[in-house]
Amino acid sequence: MARFEFPEWTEKFKKWVLLLGAGGPVYLLALWAYGLTPEAIREGYQPKQPVPYSHALHVGELGLDCRYCHTTIDKSPHAAVPPAAFCMNCHAKIRADSAKLQPVRDAFATGAPLKWTRVHDLPDYVFFNHSAHVTRGVGCESCHGRIDHMEEVFQYAPLTMGWCLDCHRDPAPNLRPPSEVTTMGYDPPGDRREIGNKVRKENDINPPTNCSTCHR
Amino acid sequence: MSSLDNKTYWRSLADLIDQPGHEEARAYLDQRIPDHAELFGDPFSRRRFMQLMGASIAFAGAAGLAGCRYERDHIEPEDRRPEGYIPGVPKYYATAMEVGGAAYGLLVTAYDGRPIKVDGNPDHPATGKGSNAFMQASVLELYDPDRSRTVERRSGPSAKKHLPGTWKDFEGAARELSKTLAESGGRGFRVLSEASTSPTLAGLKREILAKYPQARWHEWEPLSRDSEREGLRVAFGRPLRVHLHLDKAQVVAAFDADLFGDHPDALRHSRDFAAGRDPDGNRAGMSRLYAVESTYSQTGGVADHRLPLRSELVKPFLMALEQQIQGAGASAPSSVALGEKKVADFLAVLAKDLAASKGNAVVAVGYRQPPEVHALAARINALVGGADAIGYTDDPEPNRPPHWVDLHELVSAMKSGGVDTLLVLGGNPVYDAPSGLDFAGALAKVKESFHLSSYADETSALCTWHLPRAHHLESWGDARTWDGTYTIAQPIIEPIFGARSAIEVVKHLVGRGDTPAADLVKETFGALATGDGGGDLAWRKAVHEGYAKAELAPFRGTPGQFAVTPLTPTQQLGTGASKEKAIANGQLEVTFIPSSAYDGRFANNAWLQEVPDFFTKVTWDNAALVSPKTAKALGIAHEEIIEVSIGDRKAELVAYVMPGQAAFSIALPIGQGRTRAGHVGGLVEDGVDPVGFDVGPVRAAAALLVPGAARVRGTGKHYRLSATTDHNAIDKLGVDTVQKRIPELIKEATLEGYRHDPKFVVAGAHTPDIATLTDPTTAAPANLSLFKEHRYDGHKWGMTTDLSKCTGCNACVVACQSENNVPVVGKEQVWRNREMHWLRIDRYFQGDPEDPHIVSQPVLCQQCENAPCEQVCPVEATLHSDEGLNDMVYNRCVGTRYCLNNCPYRVRHFNFLRWDWYKEMDSPRAKVRQLLFNPEVTVRSRGVMEKCTWCVQRIQNVKIKAKNEHRPIRDGEITTACQQACPTDAITFGDLNDESSQVAGRQRLPRAYALLAELNTRPRHVFLARITNPHPDLAPAPAEAKAHE
Repeated sequence: MARFEFPEWTEKFKKWVLLLGAGGPVYLLALWAYGLTPEAIREGYQPKQPVPYSHALHVGELGLDCRYCHTTIDKSPHAAVPPAAFCMNCHAKIRADSAKLQPVRDAFATGAPLKWTRVHDLPDYVFFNHSAHVTRGVGCESCHGRIDHMEEVFQYAPLTMGWCLDCHRDPAPNLRPPSEVTTMGYDPPGDRREIGNKVRKENDINPPTNCSTCHR
Repeated sequence: MSSLDNKTYWRSLADLIDQPGHEEARAYLDQRIPDHAELFGDPFSRRRFMQLMGASIAFAGAAGLAGCRYERDHIEPEDRRPEGYIPGVPKYYATAMEVGGAAYGLLVTAYDGRPIKVDGNPDHPATGKGSNAFMQASVLELYDPDRSRTVERRSGPSAKKHLPGTWKDFEGAARELSKTLAESGGRGFRVLSEASTSPTLAGLKREILAKYPQARWHEWEPLSRDSEREGLRVAFGRPLRVHLHLDKAQVVAAFDADLFGDHPDALRHSRDFAAGRDPDGNRAGMSRLYAVESTYSQTGGVADHRLPLRSELVKPFLMALEQQIQGAGASAPSSVALGEKKVADFLAVLAKDLAASKGNAVVAVGYRQPPEVHALAARINALVGGADAIGYTDDPEPNRPPHWVDLHELVSAMKSGGVDTLLVLGGNPVYDAPSGLDFAGALAKVKESFHLSSYADETSALCTWHLPRAHHLESWGDARTWDGTYTIAQPIIEPIFGARSAIEVVKHLVGRGDTPAADLVKETFGALATGDGGGDLAWRKAVHEGYAKAELAPFRGTPGQFAVTPLTPTQQLGTGASKEKAIANGQLEVTFIPSSAYDGRFANNAWLQEVPDFFTKVTWDNAALVSPKTAKALGIAHEEIIEVSIGDRKAELVAYVMPGQAAFSIALPIGQGRTRAGHVGGLVEDGVDPVGFDVGPVRAAAALLVPGAARVRGTGKHYRLSATTDHNAIDKLGVDTVQKRIPELIKEATLEGYRHDPKFVVAGAHTPDIATLTDPTTAAPANLSLFKEHRYDGHKWGMTTDLSKCTGCNACVVACQSENNVPVVGKEQVWRNREMHWLRIDRYFQGDPEDPHIVSQPVLCQQCENAPCEQVCPVEATLHSDEGLNDMVYNRCVGTRYCLNNCPYRVRHFNFLRWDWYKEMDSPRAKVRQLLFNPEVTVRSRGVMEKCTWCVQRIQNVKIKAKNEHRPIRDGEITTACQQACPTDAITFGDLNDESSQVAGRQRLPRAYALLAELNTRPRHVFLARITNPHPDLAPAPAEAKAHE
């Protein structure tokens, strides 16, 4: 039997094969590296919202407390977004005819909900509970960053499992007295770890690291 | 077969094949153990599978392209948030549901406005916290895409097709009808209602009859309890209800009565009975339960003594019993020789025991029995029953005729052309009316007929109007529980498909169309609940609590004289065991029993269809139950299609050779074989075959007991049942090993045996505690265990299940399915061992196949301390938590199934398929199903292992709640779904680190034992051995001998 020879037309693929052999690993490496970038894990994700609501204005300048609008953070797993009626409490009087507020007025008048885009979106198999953290003294800014500086909200923390576990394994640096949870730019005199340890002791805080704590 | 060693436990007849004397059963083996060679050759019904409901659908995150960055999810807050509503925090509402003329008080969990779980209302005096499978599964019906969505109408009875209409059309028709009726005085107008206890509906009925005096209102229920009411009318001269208080009874005798199963007061019975069955309690003794029945019931399953006896023989048995009791327990000659010595012995002991506990005894008779048997029982109760243990009240509707008379009258009028307009409120008479009446034929003579029904079913197809009926979680209403407690139903959700309730339909006929149903119910409340003042505040309180005080009048009296009809020829034959008094084919007895779909109304409920029947373990079917000896005598085989005929009426269905079924009595479960139930239960016009077989054709009359007339003929055709009995048996060796081990799995003793030897559960067991073993030479810890000891500083969860209390009602199985988003897999997949129930109830027989004793054992994840599953997972998807749970992490699982293979309890379940694999599941029509899911639990997908987590979502939520409130968790604050559903409190859950907790207390009881303890898995779940209380004069319960092995 004659020796098999590749037909001539395959010649032109030779360099592609070489390229694939050399480039493939490089590509995979790049892909892996990219997977770890903040962009891929959504850090910094800042979608456009239907209403240009400014946390910088309301929280930063006017000094509203987080709980003024997100009323459920210490009672519910969800930090519920306020209903349109809530906005209208003030905006029926203040800037009552601003064009930017038209969607809010529409929602209030028709009952059709405003369609906010979720910024902090955990996977469906993760069960996070706001109340469990807020009542224990985990500050809002620990996970959400300086909301009072954000014109439009973006994802501040990576929200990866490793990031969650870092704190669950060593919560002290992120704990503050429960009365201070909504404080932005919390900077107490003294060592944060010491304060955290004191809070931890007072409130019997033992963050579990079981799988079923978040996955069930 | 009676030569069988009494100590042997077995799961099904197939297990017995190699016992000496059981050669004839050998032929079963091939049928009973699924042959995997067949697995690929058999084309399974894709159609049904595609349309199965209740299966999982990926919940959110349906973005299509997984892996795309920045999946867009939206938050849509309501425009105004209702006061007191916190998004994401479930709310609980009290409401009610009605099944077959009795209500149950419900507690419904609603998540952001959608009901997702139904339980018993713990504050309700009749229902209590427990529930039954129907209550649990009723929430699935709410989101059933097959429920009808529009009013449908035909131009006349001869027109072929239904056209979609609107409620406006109906309102117009109702106005016109009212006008005509006002002129004619209601002539030719009839209403046929399913049994209803709603005082509001009863008020509307009275209004209709007052306004249109010639109109008539009828009531029909296929599984009617009216024979009891009529029997008490015979005995006391007025229709009454009998109420049993089993906690106050010392001796209970149930005759064909399933006190814990299909009785409307079963939940209270179970609770009360369990209270009197605590061998460790302070009570002087345990109550004793006797059951005499033709087909195995839950009551027979928990009874201390059970006698299989043809239903028709209950009458002579009771006559003889009465005589013997009157003979003061002496051996008074019984009026009838019932046949075997076994029966006579049983009778003598029962009579003696009843007479001895005069004043604390109860005799109960089931609804299948004819009225005079109930009257007989009333007479015996007057002899031995105490006022505490048994009470009578007036019937809430004393003036209505019994159902069978009522329906017969209506059909006669329809046939003679005397009915122009028929309004059918619920029910499905075309399917479930006795075939002798030919309801469908009579209906064709009615000019205009309305059918209010949740589904466009068999009856709707033949009526000129179909009106979609609102689900009980969608409508205002009221009802009475069996004990008479006035119960209020409030809607938890707006009608999803715009359907309406019976009240909302009938009100249009009395000119009250504009009054909302809520106001009508409130009006009734004002008139009824006078004790509470009836004001607005009292109303709000009643709605909140779900019930109000408005009781039935108690009745005290003694039964009068009445004559008992002479015995029939087959009754005179006795048990038919002897040669000279044999029962021939053609003289067989037939009883009609409820199937898993009850009377057919739950036929489209996939949860109920897939729950294995407690006795047969059959899913997705109904089978004729025949005793092994009878099957042999008739020459029919297990899983053979047989033809049952009574006179010239015939029905074909599959035979199930059922141990413990009375000889020459055949039980036929009604409620299957529906042709227009829906895509689950059968929808012939859409190519979906019915589930099971319709036995309606042989049910010529309303009676549920047809003595001495049936003939059975085998057809030789084999039919495959999907029963979970023999699942997981591999081969002959496996079967043998399993059988050898059963006595280690279920432990039982008599009360006397337990008191004599409290530690009987460890007797004979070889279960050294490796953790504490010491080296005999040095007395130092031997350190035999390969496992690292876990430390529990916080909580240490534990659970116990008391086998003395489990009645096998299946409520826990459905509750678990509902709570944990457990998918339904369908008949084919059940046959392939792929059922997904996290909690199963194992049922074991013991003793003579003609008269076996039953033990039930609920098995869920045992949460082992040294869990075999954890050791073999290559990806750490199942891990030990520091509270002692074996956590299962779905998002880590890669589906190797090692854990399943290494689990000795077989409690892990693998998603072999994505149970929503086919496109139809995502169709817009079926989307409504997604509302059903419990948002606290991940919906699993294909290739993932899953198992019981002890409702870890509930544990976490209570922990968070307690911590938020800066307090420790109270004992009993965390309840698992199965525990909550259990009417007898057989299941306890709590913290073992808390010495004073109930679960720790129960785990310390001497009768606590772990399943397969010799494997050193050290389960965190323990069973409490079953303790029975047999009468010393009857053959000692076989378990006693075993206990001292």
